[in-house]
Amino acid sequence: MTEDKPPRKEESAGLMKYSAENLVPFGPIHPALKEPEYFKLVLEGEKIVEVIPRIGYVHRGLEKAAESRPWVQNMYMFERTCGICSFVHSLTYGQAVEGLTIYEIPRRAKFIRTIIAELERIHSHLLWVGLMGHWAGFETLFMWVWRDREVVLDLVEAISGNRIHKSMNAFCGVRRDMPEGMEDRIVERMKFLVDRANYYKGIVDTEETMLERTEDIGRVSAETAEKLCAVGPMARYVGLRRDIRLNDPYAAYDEVPFDIVTSKEGDVHALLKLRLDEMIVAANMVSYAVKHLPEGPIRIKIPPVIPAGEHSSHSEAPRGEIFYYVKSSGGRTPDRVKSRQPTMANLPTALEILKGQTIADVPVVLTAIDPCFGCMDRMSFLDIESNRQWTWSGEELRRYGINYYFPERMKMR
Amino acid sequence: MPRRRAGAAIPEMFRTMLEKPSTRAYPYQKVELPARFRGKLDIDPERCTGCQVCAMVCPAGVITMIDIGTRKVGDKELPVKRPVFELSTCIFCGECVDNCAFKALEMTKQFELATPHKEDLTMRKALTK
Repeated sequence: MTEDKPPRKEESAGLMKYSAENLVPFGPIHPALKEPEYFKLVLEGEKIVEVIPRIGYVHRGLEKAAESRPWVQNMYMFERTCGICSFVHSLTYGQAVEGLTIYEIPRRAKFIRTIIAELERIHSHLLWVGLMGHWAGFETLFMWVWRDREVVLDLVEAISGNRIHKSMNAFCGVRRDMPEGMEDRIVERMKFLVDRANYYKGIVDTEETMLERTEDIGRVSAETAEKLCAVGPMARYVGLRRDIRLNDPYAAYDEVPFDIVTSKEGDVHALLKLRLDEMIVAANMVSYAVKHLPEGPIRIKIPPVIPAGEHSSHSEAPRGEIFYYVKSSGGRTPDRVKSRQPTMANLPTALEILKGQTIADVPVVLTAIDPCFGCMDRMSFLDIESNRQWTWSGEELRRYGINYYFPERMKMR
Repeated sequence: MPRRRAGAAIPEMFRTMLEKPSTRAYPYQKVELPARFRGKLDIDPERCTGCQVCAMVCPAGVITMIDIGTRKVGDKELPVKRPVFELSTCIFCGECVDNCAFKALEMTKQFELATPHKEDLTMRKALTK
């Protein structure tokens, strides 16, 4: 007869259940706004010792759906993978398909793609800086940054006809030309955004709230980030020079001069400044590309049947590297489409960063990777010392975080 | 300038207090839409020939072709088709407009499409002819 033993600490923490082998593979879901993800945090008092993610709640089956749709329809479906960086998805999918054809993309189309992609980067980074202010308890920054974000969205709307889902891409070109007489307006607006970015850099460098919440938080070594294959700003903020725009130029990135921004500090504060710096670089790139826009056609119309073969493409989304693979058997629909989004690549690094942090830093660190922060809407806690388990919503967690650092402010409210 | 101080944003706060509000009183004050704005789809029934290209390219399955009669081509009887638009599922990509060889389709600037009845968004205009 076996005796009923009390459960081991690891068992009660769920560590035995969730080994690395039986994690659910990340499907074509994406870090869009307020999407569900679940993290189980194992605590020792205030300190996090282990994080168990549960992903896949919004698996929409996009890859499978793509197999039954014509090539051109998939372009619009993949554009809707994300509600923030929509253009770069259609761009990467388009590039993967273009690799199977014999046509060359017109130079003007490449420049227009670069302009839209960089405008999107500015808008995504502004959105992130605002959210960072929100989670850190600096609501004013959130309001200001999102007000300035309207500038970019208005430009995007004037160029493409829609604020978020631009529907600009076509195979071997873009669908719409740049509007006449927009050049001065774009350059002037970009100047304004560079000024604002510089101002916000000053704010995050001096304002007590931001420094308190971001400095020395979210540290990770360059070796760990490299080992865990961090991409995008998460790789650059520890000093790795990893940027697809530079390492493997696509669109017109080989013709538009720019340099990527890296940082050595490796904390969330560095990440804030890095994203603001990247915004400035992007704004300068847009100004340059608009001024040096070449003449010529913007699109080559291609037949609806794509030749057989397989091809992959990657590009630098605001959050990091996006990867698409397509396989064709020469029909009207793809045989297989695979997509990999940057949050999937950054999640292991984020989990590594979370270990050793306090609960109050969880919102800030998780927002730092620019994920779907809906993940925080359902978070359960488990204290292995007292074996107590409880669940907090995102708002409760945010209030806890602010209260932890600035208790007097919460009293005032 | 000290490295760490509370209220570094106060000068900007006073500046924004004197500015106009950033928001607009939308339903009362209409927003000016850009020239390329993509709103509700519209069809010119006179121009539509029922070629079905729009139905083939639509990524959202908005367009269904309906037989409204037959026509004689040589000694064959061919169906005459016209599109019906289920605008509640439209994603406003404008691909159908781009592909219409007869310029029968266009995106209007109408965007206030909320309705309590889903049927209001079914456009059968092309069937009338």
